[in-house]
Amino acid sequence: MTAHELAHGLDAAQVKACCASGYSSDLVSLLLGSSYHPGGTTLTRRLLDAMGLQPGERLVDVACGTGTTGLLAAQEYDAIVDGVDLSASNVALAVGAADAAGIGDRTRFHHGDAEALPLPDGVWDVVVCECALCTFPDKPTAIAEIARVLRPGGRVGISDVTAERDLLPAELTGLGAWIACVADARPPKEYEALLTAHGLRVKLVEQHREALDRMVLQIAARVELLRMTRQQQAEKLGLDFDRVRPILSATQDAIENGALGYALIVAEKPCA
Amino acid sequence: MTTRDRDEVFLELTRSICPVCKQTINAEVNARDDQVFLRKRCPEHGEFEARVYGDADMYVAAQRFNKPGTRPLQTQTEVKDGCPSDCGLCPEHKQHACLGIIEVNTACNLDCPICFADSGSLREKGPDGYSITLEQCATMLDTFVAAEGEPEVVMFSGGEPTIHKDILAMIDLVQQRPINAVNLNTNGLRLASDKTFVAELGRRNRPGRPVNVYLQFDGLEKDTHLAIRGRDMREIKQRALDNCAEVGLTVTLVAAIEKDINEHEIGAVIRHGLAHPAARSVVFQPVTHSGRHVEFDPLTRLTNSDVLHAIGKQVPEWLTVDDFFPVPCCAPTCRSVTYLLTQGTPGDPDFGLVPIPRLLQVEDYLDYVANRVVPDYEIREALEKLWSASAFIGTDTNDARLTKIAEALDCADACGVNLPEALTTITENTFMIVVQDFLDPYTLNVRQLMKCCVEEITPDGRLIPFCAYNSVGYREQVRAQMSGVEVADVVPNAIQLQPLLVETRYGSKQVPR
Repeated sequence: MTAHELAHGLDAAQVKACCASGYSSDLVSLLLGSSYHPGGTTLTRRLLDAMGLQPGERLVDVACGTGTTGLLAAQEYDAIVDGVDLSASNVALAVGAADAAGIGDRTRFHHGDAEALPLPDGVWDVVVCECALCTFPDKPTAIAEIARVLRPGGRVGISDVTAERDLLPAELTGLGAWIACVADARPPKEYEALLTAHGLRVKLVEQHREALDRMVLQIAARVELLRMTRQQQAEKLGLDFDRVRPILSATQDAIENGALGYALIVAEKPCA
Repeated sequence: MTTRDRDEVFLELTRSICPVCKQTINAEVNARDDQVFLRKRCPEHGEFEARVYGDADMYVAAQRFNKPGTRPLQTQTEVKDGCPSDCGLCPEHKQHACLGIIEVNTACNLDCPICFADSGSLREKGPDGYSITLEQCATMLDTFVAAEGEPEVVMFSGGEPTIHKDILAMIDLVQQRPINAVNLNTNGLRLASDKTFVAELGRRNRPGRPVNVYLQFDGLEKDTHLAIRGRDMREIKQRALDNCAEVGLTVTLVAAIEKDINEHEIGAVIRHGLAHPAARSVVFQPVTHSGRHVEFDPLTRLTNSDVLHAIGKQVPEWLTVDDFFPVPCCAPTCRSVTYLLTQGTPGDPDFGLVPIPRLLQVEDYLDYVANRVVPDYEIREALEKLWSASAFIGTDTNDARLTKIAEALDCADACGVNLPEALTTITENTFMIVVQDFLDPYTLNVRQLMKCCVEEITPDGRLIPFCAYNSVGYREQVRAQMSGVEVADVVPNAIQLQPLLVETRYGSKQVPR
C-alpha cells in the first residue's frame, strides 16, 4: 500500500486486492510479527478455558503460526492438536518445536489454507483461530470450513480485532484502509452473524480491549525499530513512517473511545 | 452493636525485626488505600508500620514473577536461630548469589548526609574504621568462587573504594579468578581528578573481562547534590563521566531517590544517561533508611512502584509503567527492570528508542505461576539472565542474551527483513533501567530476604544478604570484628523514633543504653 492510498482510503475491492498481494502481507508480518497475537498466552488460556477444553479432546488451530497455542494446548490441557498454517516455514518450525518438547506424537502441523482446511469433516472437538480471521479475505468460507471440521457439539473459539467503523473518528479517513489492510476487522455483531449463518451458536462474547491497546504499542515499537534499523527496506515495502505514527496514535484514541476492540468469541456446533 | 469491617486486606504473615532493638518479631503485610504496608509489634518498643509498595495491584501481580531459586555450591553457616539471625548464607536461603559485594574500606572522601554504610572521613581516623588487606580480599573472592563456581559479577564498594591504595590490585585479583565482571561503586571524585587512575581502569576493562563504573548520580540540580551529598558535585560528575568515556569505560548512573528531594529528577537522570556516551544504564534506589539518612516518615517513604509511576509521568514519550517487569531471581517486588534499544541521543532528529518488552511478551516467559509451558525455553533463559541482579550492560553474558532476544524477533522468513542482522549492533545500543528498593529495619521482610541474591562478602568468609547486612546488625558486627572496638547498633532516623534517638559521632542515630 502506498502513502497516497493510506491517506485517501481504498474501496473494498482495492483493499482485498491489496491484502492479498504479497508485498502488503509482508508489511503485515513485519508489523505484527509472525507468531504474535494480542494478549499472548494469557489470553490463549482464557480462550481455551472458556471453551472448556478437556484432556484428550482433539483441537484444530487455524492459522497456527509457529505452533505456540498448539503446544500449550497439548502440554497444559493434554489436547491432541492439529495446526494449519499458510506458511510452510511456520509449519516446519511448529513441527520442530513439538518434537523438541517431546510431544510430536500428539501434535500434527499441516501446510494449508484456512479457506480450504486439509482436514476431514466432523472429527474435531474444538477449533481455535486467534487474531487471524480478520486477515482472511474470504471470511464466510473460512467459517464454513471451521463448521465443517467440527463434530456436532464441538466448540469454536475466536479472538480477533473488532471495529465499529461508524464510530471511527472522522479525521481517520485513512484508518479504514489501514485497518482493512493490517486487519480486515469487523464489528463483533458481524462476527457473530457470520458464525450464526454457518449454523454455529454463539455462547460467549468477551471484550479484551487492553490486549489491543498493548498490540498498538507493540506495532508502534516495531515501526520505530524498523525506522532505526531498516528504514529504506521498509519504505520499499510501502511503509510511510511520517504517516504511520499519527495513524497509530489515532488508533489508540479509537481503542479508548470503543471504536476498536479485541473480542473473544466462543460458539458451539449444535448436536443435531 | 454491629460488627465493623477492617480497612485493609491481610496479605501475608511474615517475620521482621524491631527497628530499635533488632529482635526478630512477627510482621503482617496488608493492602490499604491501594498501597501495601508492613506492620509489626515489639514487646518492648511497641508497634511499627512502614509503606513497602505504593501500588497494591502491582505488588500482587508481581508475585507471579518468582523464579524457583538455585542452590549455591556451598553455604557458610548453619541454621540455628532462623532467618534473619544465621547469615549467611545458611542452608535455608532460597537463592544463590547473583552479585557479590566487597566493601574494601569504611573511609570516604565525602561526608554525605545520606549513606547507608555510615561511612565518611571520620571513619578514616575513627576507632571503628577499617580497610581490608589484599590477602583478605583474595580470601573473600575465593569464598565467592567456592560458593558460585563461576560468579557473574563482583562489586567493590566501601566507604569509597577508589581511595583504597590497593584497589587496582584488587581488581587484578578478580580478573585472575573465574569471575566475569567487576563493578566499581564510586562517588566519582577520583575519576574526575585522576586521569592516570581512570586509564588504569580502562586498561583492565577488556573484552571478556569488563570493568564497569557504578557512579553515584542523584540528579542534575544543585539542591539535590547539597541535600544528598552535602556538596555540589555537578561538575565533578560530568568530568568523571567524560573521563570514563575517553577510555571506553561503561558507566551505570546510580540515583538514590528521597521523597521531596529529587523524585522530580528521575526523568532528567534517564535523559542524561541516554545522552552521555559512557552511560549505558541507570539504577534508581529509593533511599535505604539504614545507616545515615535524613529524617523520614516510614508511612510515606518512596517505594519501587512510586519510582516506576514517576518514570511514566516524567518521560511519557519513551516509557510507561508497563514497560517494566519484576526481576524473578530475587523476591519480585525488590527489583524491576527494563531494556531499551536506542539510536543516537535525545534531541537528535533521528533519535530512536524502543523498550524491548514491547517487542515480545515478557510475561509469557517470566510468569512462573501461569506458565506451565513457555513458547521457547531458550528465550526464557535469555530473559531470566537479563532480568536478574547479575545483569550488567557490557558483559559477554548479557550481550549473548540480547542477541538471543533479537533472534526471537526474527521475521526474515515472513517479510524479507532480517531483524537480527539489522540488530547486530544491538549490544552497543542497549540501555538498561533498574529500579531497586532495599529493605531497611522498618521494611525488612524475611520472605523477601530469604530469596535475596545480592550478598555482602565479609572478611570472615560469609555471604550476607545485602539488606540483612544493613538492617539486622551484621554491618556493626563486622565493623567491631575488624576494628576490635564495640560498635553500637544504628537505628533509623524515623520521625516516630525521634524522642529515643541520639546522634552517633558519624551522624547516624542510636538509642542510648
